[in-house]
Parts: sequence; C-alpha cells; structure tokens
Amino acid sequence: MRKLYVNARYLLVPAMTIATIIGLYLGGFYVWLGVLLFGVNTILDTLTKHIHLRADFDDSGNSFGVKGFQYSVMYLMLPIFIVLQTALANNLYKFVSLGVLEMSEIIGSILSCGLWAGLGIIYGHELSHNKKEGFGVSRAIMALSGASHFTYAHVFNHHLDLGHEKDPATAPRGRNVYAHAWLSHMGQSKFSYDLERKKLEQTNSRFLSIRNMWLRGYLYSLPTIALFVWSGGIVGVVALFAVWSISNFLLEALNFMGHYGLIREQNKPVEHRHSWDNDNLFTSWFFIEIGRQCDHHVRGETFFWELDDVQGPNYGIGYFSLFVLTLIPGLFRAFVQKHLDNWDSNFATEGEKKIIEEYFPNKTRFLGA
Amino acid sequence: MLQRLLKRKKSFSVSVSPGNHHFALDRKETLLAGALRVGLDWPHKCQVGSCGRCKCKILDGVIRPEIDFNYVLTPAEVNSGYVLACQSTPKTDLKVTVNLLNKGN
Repeated sequence: MRKLYVNARYLLVPAMTIATIIGLYLGGFYVWLGVLLFGVNTILDTLTKHIHLRADFDDSGNSFGVKGFQYSVMYLMLPIFIVLQTALANNLYKFVSLGVLEMSEIIGSILSCGLWAGLGIIYGHELSHNKKEGFGVSRAIMALSGASHFTYAHVFNHHLDLGHEKDPATAPRGRNVYAHAWLSHMGQSKFSYDLERKKLEQTNSRFLSIRNMWLRGYLYSLPTIALFVWSGGIVGVVALFAVWSISNFLLEALNFMGHYGLIREQNKPVEHRHSWDNDNLFTSWFFIEIGRQCDHHVRGETFFWELDDVQGPNYGIGYFSLFVLTLIPGLFRAFVQKHLDNWDSNFATEGEKKIIEEYFPNKTRFLGA
Repeated sequence: MLQRLLKRKKSFSVSVSPGNHHFALDRKETLLAGALRVGLDWPHKCQVGSCGRCKCKILDGVIRPEIDFNYVLTPAEVNSGYVLACQSTPKTDLKVTVNLLNKGN
C-alpha cells in the first residue's frame, strides 16, 4: 500500500495533461481547462505550504519508488505532450480552415497548451540525468518547446557552474524573471553551441554534420513547426510562438526560483547552500521533487523519489505560489530579501560574503525603492 | 541471443592501482559509485559527467560509456584510454589506474 501511495502521488501532471487534452478536443469553455487547473493548483499549493514530507524508505533503507514504473511514466509523457500539441493543431485547423471555433476558444487552447507543454521541463530535466535512452527522450521532450539545447546545457553547464556567473541559468541578485527567461535561454543555447563546436573541432568533424548535437536538437523541433504551419498558416506560427514563449518562460522561471541570488566561488564544490528548496507537499508531488534542488545538485543522478530534505536554504512556499510572486518583480524582491539576508548570515562562507560585498554592496536597491 | 542475455554476468571485478584495491561492481553501477561504496577516496565533484574530476585510465577491460567523453576529456586522453568513472559501467572485469586522494585508503 505504501509503495502504491509513493508511486501514484507523482501522477498529477500526467492526469492533468490528459484532462487538458480532452478539454481541447471538447472545445467550448473546456479549452480553458488547462488554465483553470493552473489556477486551482496555485490555490492547492498555497494551502499546503506548511506541509513538508520526507523521502520514503523502508526499514532497510530501500526506497518505495519503483524505477520501472516511474521511467515508464516519464517516457509516456513524450507521446502525451505530442498529442497535446496535436490537439492544439486540430483546433487551429478548425479555427482557420473550417471556421467552427471562436477567437476565445483558440486563445484558451493556446494558453492551455502552452502552460502544460511547459511542464515538459520536469521530465526533460529528470531524464537529462539518465545518460542512456532517457537522454534522447529528454531531448525529444524539450524539442517540442524548441529547447532541446537544455539537456546538454543543464548537465555540462548548470551542474558544473551553478551559482557562478558562468552559469546562465543562475539569476544574479536584482534581475527579474522576464530578463532572466531571455538571458538564460540564449545563454544556455550559446553554451551548447560552444560545447559542440569544441567537441567537433577536437574530433576533426565538420560543424554541419550529423554529430552536431546542438544543430540536431533544433532539427528535432521541425515536426512541431511543420504541424503548426500546416494546421494554421500564419495563425499557426503566432500560436507556436505563443506556446514556445509560455513553455520556455516556465522552464526559466524554475531556474530563476531554484538559484536566485545565490553565490558560489569558482572552483569550490557545489553544496546544499547553493540552491533554494521548494518542497511543500503539492510542489513535491506535482513537480516530481524537482524542488529538492539542494539535494539534487549534490547528488545529481539520484532518482527524484529518493531526494530528501537536507536542511538547505528554503523559501518555505511552493513553486506555484512563488511563481505568482516572481511575475511582479517588486513583490518578489520584497519577499526574497529576508531569505537572502538569512542566506548571507547563516549559509554563506567568508569567500562568498566577500563576493556579495564586492558585487552587491547595497542590498536595499533590490527592494525596488 | 537469449542465451547470451541469460549468461550475462551481473557483477564484475575491478582492480585499482596504485594501491592494489579490489571491489565488485554491479553491471549497472558506475565505476565511481562502486568505488565510493567500498570507501575508496576517488576524486570526484559533480557526479553527472561534466567536471572531469573522476577521470581514470582503463588498463584492461571494457566499459560502457554513458556519455560522449569527448565533451570533457581531450582527444589524447580519450585515445589513451581515459574515461569518466561517474559515467562508466562495466562490460568486463576491469583494471584501472587513478590517483586516489588518500593513498592510505
């Protein structure tokens, strides 16, 4: 029974993504179901902000998580996300070619699809740490949002350079989520490009070759582009731009929340204090423990269901609640300042404090005053 | 094919020099994970295949690489048998050389 509970609790996203797909096919008000679910989730996340659970192990120290089941679900999410995009393409076709959908229905369809496509990150991220077939599935899931470069950049850049200016996914103090989304996305793609160029040069391969994984990643996105152009023409291009913008914004918002303002000296090891945990009940279950960043960045290839609370820096609220705050930069800075003060006083090393004093001497300026 | 699968070894032996250390490594376990499990002070940092700190040289045997080592190691290192221990699972018994952090281990 315990095993069933531990494994079933991570099925929230698959279930809600399928519900969103059904909503898109039903049409009418139901196309807004994906947006509505996001709202309901924000409420549930806020209501459970005080409930924090630990990882579940039996008396022998073995996890209740079943690897075969969890990986099957993660792999299954690839076709589910493809069907989600196909459902939107179907509505685009109905709107543009058949004229049987209202403008409000197509807007609802785009928003619902974009929000749930963005959750591909939680599977793309987890599978990026499985270097076998899972790595390829991760790339394919991320390619649905035009972000296949993420898989390489996350492993070879973010995990290595976390908390340092060399990591585009770490947001420095004072940056807002809107600027971060753009800078982090482009920075990671640039890193992935440089990584491939160096590898290809070292192995005497041409840049325009099948071995160029940066280029191949973008080629994986071509079927999605073709689907939207075919189904909606110019409207399809606008819809694709909107869906990719929303999904990539969600991806980068997670990066933003995971490490905002934290600092690490170059060549010093990544430790628990270099990440923020978001691990209340709803966030843990919904985001398959991606909020246990402190543990994850020290034990990078540990399965998500084995990640635990390591008493690292913690925002004390979940991702949905925090995401709403990040959308209003002044509000987010006011909220995060006390957590940064606590980090500076109780977590930062002397070396890290020196960096703070040198680069961020006037903390009050981040309050937006 | 089926016979080969059924006969496939589940565990391999690893010899580490200098120091003459030996341990058993599960077929799905990485070289680094096995070494840390038995208490060897194997140099490592990121454990995801990006820093190169855990690199070692395979003297004998075959590993299964989990990633393309060319992203982290130089061509000369790859050609002379260096691998990333955190991204290598065994295909045969192994003999490897690495500079352990605490030679007394």
